Amino acid sequence: MGEKKRILIVEDAVYMRDMLVEMLEQEERSYEVVGFAVNGREAVEKYKELKPDIVTMDLVMEVMDGIQAIREIKKYDPNALIIAITALGTPEYKDAALDAGADEYLWKPFTIKNLFDALEKLLRKREE
Amino acid sequence: MEKSWVKGLNYKFIILFFAVLACVVLSFYFGVIRRETVVYTHLFYVPIILAGLWYHKRAIYVALFLSFFYTLVTYPLTHLSLDIFERIAIFVVVAYVIGVVSEKRAKVEEEITRGRDKFHKILRTISETIFIVDRDLKVLELSKPQLRAGIEMEGDMPRRYRRLPPSPVIERKDVIGKECYKVFWGKEKICDDCPVPSIFETGAGARKEGSFVLADGTTMYLDVEYVPVFDEKGDVIQVIGDMRDITGRKQMEERLMSAEEQLRETKDYLDDIITSSADTITVVDMNGVVRDWNKGEEGFMGYRADEVIGTSNKKFFADPEEADRIMETVLRDGELKNYRTIVLRKDKKPVHISMSAALLKDKNGVPVGTVRVSRDITKEVELEEKIKEERDNLKLIFENMADGVYIVSNEYEVEFMNKVLIDEFGNQVGGICYKVFHNREEPCPLCKNTEVMKGKTVRWEWHSRRMNKTYDLIETPLRNVDGSISKLTIFRDISERKRMEDELRETCERLAELDKMKRNFLSVAYHEMRSPLAPIVGYASMLERCELPDKGKRYLSIIEQSARELEKLINRMLELARIDGKKIELNLESVYISKVVAEVAKDLEPEAKEKKQVISMAVQEVEIQADRQKIVAIFSNLISNAIKYTPEGGKIDIVVEDRGEDIRACVSDTGIGIPEEHLPKIFERFYMVDTSLTRKSGSLGLGLSIVKEYVKLHGGKVWATSEVGKGSKFFFIMPKSYKQ
Repeated sequence: MGEKKRILIVEDAVYMRDMLVEMLEQEERSYEVVGFAVNGREAVEKYKELKPDIVTMDLVMEVMDGIQAIREIKKYDPNALIIAITALGTPEYKDAALDAGADEYLWKPFTIKNLFDALEKLLRKREE
Repeated sequence: MEKSWVKGLNYKFIILFFAVLACVVLSFYFGVIRRETVVYTHLFYVPIILAGLWYHKRAIYVALFLSFFYTLVTYPLTHLSLDIFERIAIFVVVAYVIGVVSEKRAKVEEEITRGRDKFHKILRTISETIFIVDRDLKVLELSKPQLRAGIEMEGDMPRRYRRLPPSPVIERKDVIGKECYKVFWGKEKICDDCPVPSIFETGAGARKEGSFVLADGTTMYLDVEYVPVFDEKGDVIQVIGDMRDITGRKQMEERLMSAEEQLRETKDYLDDIITSSADTITVVDMNGVVRDWNKGEEGFMGYRADEVIGTSNKKFFADPEEADRIMETVLRDGELKNYRTIVLRKDKKPVHISMSAALLKDKNGVPVGTVRVSRDITKEVELEEKIKEERDNLKLIFENMADGVYIVSNEYEVEFMNKVLIDEFGNQVGGICYKVFHNREEPCPLCKNTEVMKGKTVRWEWHSRRMNKTYDLIETPLRNVDGSISKLTIFRDISERKRMEDELRETCERLAELDKMKRNFLSVAYHEMRSPLAPIVGYASMLERCELPDKGKRYLSIIEQSARELEKLINRMLELARIDGKKIELNLESVYISKVVAEVAKDLEPEAKEKKQVISMAVQEVEIQADRQKIVAIFSNLISNAIKYTPEGGKIDIVVEDRGEDIRACVSDTGIGIPEEHLPKIFERFYMVDTSLTRKSGSLGLGLSIVKEYVKLHGGKVWATSEVGKGSKFFFIMPKSYKQ
């Protein structure tokens, strides 16, 4: 498995943030939550500060939305791994997020299995 | 005269001179030489008598001269004896007597000559050609040196006759002494109808008219009156022919005759027309008595000519006073044109007629009657009445219409306004439309009169700024009885409608706006609904990993199932909101139908199992170009519907055929079925066959509408057949390669 992947959670809804943390704790040998951000701007700052391996990015947020944040992070670090997690279940948003640079897309609601499948897919893609 | 006098002087005077000279010489010889006195005096009578005969009384001068000479010669012998005087006296007396007598005779002769000259002169100058023939028909005299045919032979005849062709000339010298039948009639022997021989017999005058062809081919006509000339014994010695050239007259007569012939033909033709005319032509005299009647019984009046001629015309008219009125009018105006009245047929049936009449006058211009042409116009009148009735009906309808109706002539004169208009504008019938309605001095710029007069019907909207009203106008040509066209305008005040239309449009726009807002709201709302689902699903999935009592596991599975149901519902609504919002783009890829069907069936298997249903599949291996997610949604909806509406233990069949160009899929069940009247509507959104059923089965009626949208997006079509109580079959056809 190698070393733990450091994850930055960007999510404005507390209950979602908590759930993501709890889910990731289930695989604590592989993942470590290193920080949180509640909006896009904060996410960009936190990314620069923490240099996480993976960012889970909510798309609908105040101040700066997720799409914009993805774009800025990717601009700062083209190698950043970002997984967009949103309730916006239409292909348009998925396309927008992928266009901005997101590496994976996860729809709400999702099961714990869905989350880890997405993360593994993301890491596999990186290794390739 | 001068010449003849010199001639007379020559021979008479010379003879006389020598006679007188002979007497002088003899007297001198006998008296002076022979001294004799008696013998030679007798010789003196010769010159005296000659002088007397030729120079009449002037013979006395000869006698006196000879006497003087005689006296001179004999004086030495006789010395003026009585004998000498006696002889002188005898000389003078003889000279005188002879002179007087001869003078008288000369006078008589002169008279005769003059008379004859005068006669010839007269003969030659009179206009008629007069000739004289003797018993042998030889021409003795012709009154003219030449004879011309035609009345132009006199130089001072009216010029208008000049156009007659000049005829050949008969010269007087060619005629005199020749037989009249040769020179006048061009014949070799006496004419058969020659009256001259009988005139010589009987002494009675005669007349002959004849013609002959002249050398130039023209025919000359002559009228000859023969008059006998009697001698003192009463015998006919000559016949005078008074010959008149009547060629001109004959030609005129011929022309007149041919003109008359033509006239007669024309008259016959006219008579034919009049007799065969469908109109009745009557001549009525000043007393109202019928004088002529062109029609037999076949005429529309039913009378024969012999029944009515000579009777009063009053009985023809439905109103007997009409006869007088017509007569008065014709007398006053000289004519009557297309006058309409009603007459009675023989069987007393009234007939509408149109009568035209003219005044007849005699040659002095005094009115003698009228000639009338009457035409049966019953049919026209009936037609007109029908038209009028229809127009009246129309007007009645117009009158009671809520819309404004008016009629204007092509001269813009208002002919009709209905009540609505009169209430609003006052009665303006007879006024000029643009003046009374629009206060203009000339036709309105928007007026459609010209177009309508060409036969067009025009519909247009007119907004009156003055009244702030909008009118819908229909303007159409209206043909009048007389053939002229009026414009019928129906106009409706549509201001209210316009206002409502505007409002409606605004409302629609607002509604569209609202709809858009609603869609956006729904879209957001559905997303928001998914958000709370996330922790439910997420934590439930984590709970699965925990140690749970059996009860807990069961509860958890119920929670998870319900969460899935809820997610599915939200997804469908979200998808529909999306479909409404904008065009969906297909994410085309190769789709293996059998894989998709197997996947869907697997997903839904738990539900089917729960209801103890059997799902059987007969899906051909086929690959199509399509949006995989949509194909999944189509099968998913159809199969889950089948499961939902099929009772426990039922059977669900999925069949997909490869048909070359397209695929045909069928999902059939042994469910409750759909009543036939619902079949056409089941693909409509929110359509529910039975609301209670829907509630029981948990559907919003969205599934089939999504199926329909997706199949349509792929260029296919979907339909269903069903039998209530036995089951339903849902079909769709989809092309294998998507075409835009």
